[in-house]
This record gives sequence, C-alpha cells and structure tokens, in this order.
Amino acid sequence: MLREEFRTHSSYSGKSRFMSFPIFVFVMVFASGLTLDTMLVTIPLERFATFAHLGAFLYGLSVGAFGIMGREYLDRRYGRNNYLIAMPYLLPLSFRTTFLGIYLRDVVFYIVLMLVPATLGLVAAAPLMGFSLVSIGLLFVAMVLTFLVGMSLSFLASVVYIRNTRAFVAMTAAVAVLFLAHGAFGVPALEALMPGLGFQMSVRPFGHDTVAAYYYALGCVGISAVMTVLAYALVQVRISVQSKEHVDMLPSYYRRIRMSEGLGRTLMAKELLDLRRSGVVAKMFFAFVLPLLFLSFTTWYVNYGLAIPVGFNAVFYAAMVGFVAVMMYNWLNNVDLAEYYSLLPVTVPQLVRIRIAVFLILTVGISAFFVVAISILNGETELLWLALIVMFVTSLYMVVLTAYLTGLKTNSFLFDTSVLMKFTVLSFLPDLCLTILSFSLLAAWTYAVIGIALVLGSMAVTTRILYKGIETKWARTSFEA
Amino acid sequence: MAVIEGRDIVKVYGSMKALDRVSLTVEAGDFYGFFGPNGAGKTTLIRILTGQLMPTSGTASVLGVDVVKEPMKAKELIGIVPEVESPPTYLTAYEYLYFVGKVRKVDRLEDRIGRWLDFFDLEEKKGTICKDMSKGMRQKLMLASAFLHDPKLLFLDEPFINLDPIYQRTLRDYLEEFVAKGGTVFMASHILEISERLCNKLSIVNLGRVVAQGQIDELLKDGENLERLFLRSVGIKASGGDAPRRTSSS
Repeated sequence: MLREEFRTHSSYSGKSRFMSFPIFVFVMVFASGLTLDTMLVTIPLERFATFAHLGAFLYGLSVGAFGIMGREYLDRRYGRNNYLIAMPYLLPLSFRTTFLGIYLRDVVFYIVLMLVPATLGLVAAAPLMGFSLVSIGLLFVAMVLTFLVGMSLSFLASVVYIRNTRAFVAMTAAVAVLFLAHGAFGVPALEALMPGLGFQMSVRPFGHDTVAAYYYALGCVGISAVMTVLAYALVQVRISVQSKEHVDMLPSYYRRIRMSEGLGRTLMAKELLDLRRSGVVAKMFFAFVLPLLFLSFTTWYVNYGLAIPVGFNAVFYAAMVGFVAVMMYNWLNNVDLAEYYSLLPVTVPQLVRIRIAVFLILTVGISAFFVVAISILNGETELLWLALIVMFVTSLYMVVLTAYLTGLKTNSFLFDTSVLMKFTVLSFLPDLCLTILSFSLLAAWTYAVIGIALVLGSMAVTTRILYKGIETKWARTSFEA
Repeated sequence: MAVIEGRDIVKVYGSMKALDRVSLTVEAGDFYGFFGPNGAGKTTLIRILTGQLMPTSGTASVLGVDVVKEPMKAKELIGIVPEVESPPTYLTAYEYLYFVGKVRKVDRLEDRIGRWLDFFDLEEKKGTICKDMSKGMRQKLMLASAFLHDPKLLFLDEPFINLDPIYQRTLRDYLEEFVAKGGTVFMASHILEISERLCNKLSIVNLGRVVAQGQIDELLKDGENLERLFLRSVGIKASGGDAPRRTSSS
C-alpha cells in the first residue's frame, strides 16, 4: 500500500520531484531553526509550540478526511487503476479492513512525508543553534501524537458525515464549542483538547513532569484508538450499486447559462451539472466555510485568548478569504475523471478557464457574505468597499495562480517541490503585503490604501499575465491521469 | 487517396520504446486492422494518430491534417472509440450525446441523438447516469458518441469488447455499411474472427515494430487464416493443437 501511494504521487510529477518535497520541508525547517533565536525575542517558545501543534492537528484533520467518500473514494481516487487497496472487489477483504488499511497507510506515509523531514531539519540545525537532540525527539513524538488525534477525529467525523449529516453537524459544533470555550474562558485547557500539546509542555524544554507526560501520551493514543475503532465500526459499506433515475438536465442548464453559443457554454453547463449530481457542492461548502470559521477563531483567539493585540480587520479577513478559497479549485478538479475530453476537440486550457469561471460562481457569493458579516460584526462597515475589492482581487489572483501552476491536477502538483516553491512565493508575498498594510489602515489610512491599491494592481497585472499563460503552459498536456 | 499517413513514428516512455519507426498508409475506403500482442504498441499508435499523444519523433496526418501540429483540427474530423470505455460519470446517455454534439457543433442534434440512442437501444436506460451503467452500455455510448457527427474516418480500439453477440453483429453490419459508403475504419482488436471478416488491410506489430503489413489476402499463405498469420508474424508456432508455442527465433 505504501509503495502504491508513493508511486501514485510520484507518477504525477516524477519521482525525483516528488522526493524533493520532503527535502523542501527539511530546508524550510532548517532555515527556520537558524532564525529561531531572533524570532524568540518577540514570540515565546511556548507560543511557537502551540502553533506547531495547531498545524499538526490541522494536518491530521486534512489527511483523515477520506472516510467522507466511502466507496466513492475508491472509485474516484483510483479511477481505472487497480490498487491493492481496492481489493474488496476482488479479494476476501471487507471494506472496513480496507479503510483501516488506508488509515494505517496514511499515518505512516504522511508522517514520513512531513513530520520526519521537519524533525530532521531541526536536527541539522541543532549543532549550530545548540538545540537539544532529546528535546527535538520529544517534539517529534508530541507532534505525532497531535497529528494522530487530528487524523482520527477527521476520520471519525467524515465517516459520521456519511452516516448522518445531523450527527456530523452536532459533532463539529461540539468540537467548535470546546475550542471557543477555551478561547473565551480558558476552559477546557488547550492541553485537554490537544493532549499532544500537554505531552509537549510536560517534557523538555518546557517541563520535567514524566508522569503527566506519560498520561498525556496515553490519552492521545487512547483517544485516537477509540475514534479509529468507532470510525472502523461506522464506515458505510456500500457494495451494492444504488442506481438512481435522473432527468436529462444538461439542455436546460445549457439554455440557462448566459454566454454566447459555443464550447465554453457547453463545458460550463456540464461542470455545473456534475457538481449538482456528484453532491460535491455540500462537501466543498464545508471545505471552504470550515477554514473560514477556523481562521476567524484563530484571529479571535490570538486577540482575546492569547491577549496579543493585533489589528485584525475586515480588509485582513478579505485577503485571507481569497487565499482560502483556492481549495475550492482543487475540489473542482476532483469531481470526475476527465479522460473522455481527450477524444473531443477540447484542450486542457479551455477546461481550466471554465473551471476558473465555475470557481468564481461558487465562491464569490459566500466570500462576499463572509466579508460583509465580518465587517458588520467588527463595526467596520466603512472598510467594506475596500474589503470587497481586496477579496475579489485576491480570490481571482489565487485561483488563476493555482490554475496556471497546477492545471487540472492541483492536488498532485502541489507535492512537486518546484511548483510548491513558486506557489509559496507567489502567494505568500502579496499575502504578507496585504496583511501588513491592512494592520496599518487605522494608523496611516492614506498610505495604507495607496499601498493596498499598488499591491492589488500588481496582482491584477500578474493575474492577467498568468491567465494568458495558461494557454501556452497547458496546451499540449493530455487529459489523461 | 491516403486518409492516414504515418512515417517513422517513434514513441519512447522513459527507457522503453513503445513504437519503433512505425510507418503506414491507409487509403479512403479501407477497413484497416491493426493487430499485435498485449503491450505491442497498438493503443499508443492510435493515440498518436488521433492527436491524443505526441510522438517522440516521426510524422502523422489524418485526412490531410498534421496531427502533431493541429491535433484539435484532426479531432474535429474523426471519431474515436478508446480502449477503455470512460464516459463522464454524472451524465445520462442522452446528456453525453448532447454534450458531444454541442462540443462538435453538430446540426440536427436531436434527430441524431435519437437515432443513435435507438440504434444502440440506450433509450431503455434513459435516466441512468454513466457510473451506474454496465460496461456494455458504456461501450455502446462511446460508440454512439464517436458516430454522432458522421465522421468519414473512425479510429476504433477494441470496439467489440463488452458487447453482447447481438450488438457485435449489429456493429459489424454498421461498420461494413459505413466502409461500403466510402468511410474508412482503423481498428485495433484481439477478436481475429470478426476482424478477418471486416478488414481488407492490416499491420501487425510486435514489441513496437511492424512485423507484417499489406493486403490481408496477399499476406495469407495457403489455407491460412488471420489467427495463423498473426501467430506466425509475432513468432508463435501454432502446433495444430490448442496451445501455441513461441518459436526459437522470437
């Protein structure tokens, strides 16, 4: 299974490029390790550890969401390829066993892909910075524990979602309430929500409470095991094909789209109908809205929970919305296989452009609603006009950047180090500029607005260049997986 | 008049040479068979000739269009049935044909869709989306979508696979009529009995190289059928019994 997962990833961008992803992580962490002393002047090590654990928790959440798709997961993800993991069709293996196999495989694969090279990056920096190797080892253990809890929670939640949407909403709400309660009242402690952090704070360099560390570690393993067993028991086994009657809707979709007659209108109608029939819209909605809620919670937590006075305002949120929305483009590329397009006079750039348009149709409304709501809640309606412009330009910029760099295979190409580096630089720079400028709005309104206008102008020009570049970059690419 | 021209086509995947200087000419009105063992390079050549894949070197044209330089123009003119039936997951048969018709700008679309749904008996499962169809139904749909715009040239990769004997017969009759009216078919198939009845010319490839090429009746030796010709060409000795043996020369 591990070999298949590795070959699947490396088949998209080449073995050496995929292998360079952990090297990229290693280098980034090594570089961060070298600058840690400087950063510790303003932010205490405990805060760094907290954010690192939040990152590991989120990483686990994103890895464990495969249960959401049940049998569809196997069909869609593996398409026409036969993988050992799809053996329930051919061998006396139950779906439950298969899903447990996926869980165990992903635990190993994604720890090796990210956490191991990150740890090695710190180890490499240790002789230069005087880090304790024992502390680094304990950090690795703590991060793995947090990752496991996040992954198990996500695995369970996604399985519950398939069983019963209300139960899923209740479960998600309960987790959100726990984190909100921590932010508002400090209860429950963050160590109780993420026992891996508790373990971290009990061992070097933060503490020396071996007994507490032991209990926190045991708690992590226990919680992860319970959630995994529950998910294992609840996995929806849908071996029988549930054939459903459908009314022919494509012609009516085609008629309703207000575009000139032609290929674009046809592709758009099909994409929208695919979204409706596949049921992906609801999942995409969660994939978009949950990070927005998490973002709101994090900023609120920083302001009120950690009492760090940072000037988050509607313009900051608007920029973030644009950056978060890009995940939706990835979802659009995973709705269906696109191989049949290779039989028709259609090119990859034509489909990419339609997906950018579909992305905008899906996200602009939700993003605008979020920005308006944040403006009203923060009492910053005077910033709304600027926030909406920022939101729209960043959304467009990010989706065009992603489409340019990854074409129709976003998920795969973002594991290609050269693509990831370009993506990181081109998204991080404007994001950083907009964040800093948004914080300056109250202090120096005119200069901040001029600065934001310049950044947005640069982004708009880049967007146009990249949008045009999609044609030359992807024109000769095959639709095949 | 040549409708397909391939010259010295080479395709290399990594360290493997899938096609090694393959050349062929197909005239208008030919029913051209392209045969070879598994992995010989048949699907690769079809994908190159239909503009789905770029060759490593060599030239290819269909209906006078250079498929390397203008693959989209070539695709507008031809009909393609791929080796693996893979229609879009969430469309019904009608919707897929409607989609293909709109992409190809087919006139009198409703009439044509009706004709092919009826021809392949797809009306029966009208409300079923492709992911819930049987393999046979999906294969019929892929065939219908390739025929929808009345192309003069068809590329068929294992067209009879998954079809029941009734529709194998129906398709065979249709293809014979299509060629009789001046159409051209380029077909890869492992079903040699049907192919022998349909094809007038062939190429046999083995390990990426053409090992036999020409008029079928000229290539067949006394009393030989296509199966024997195929086995002889790829270096398998038919012992007269059921189990063919690879000859030492291979």
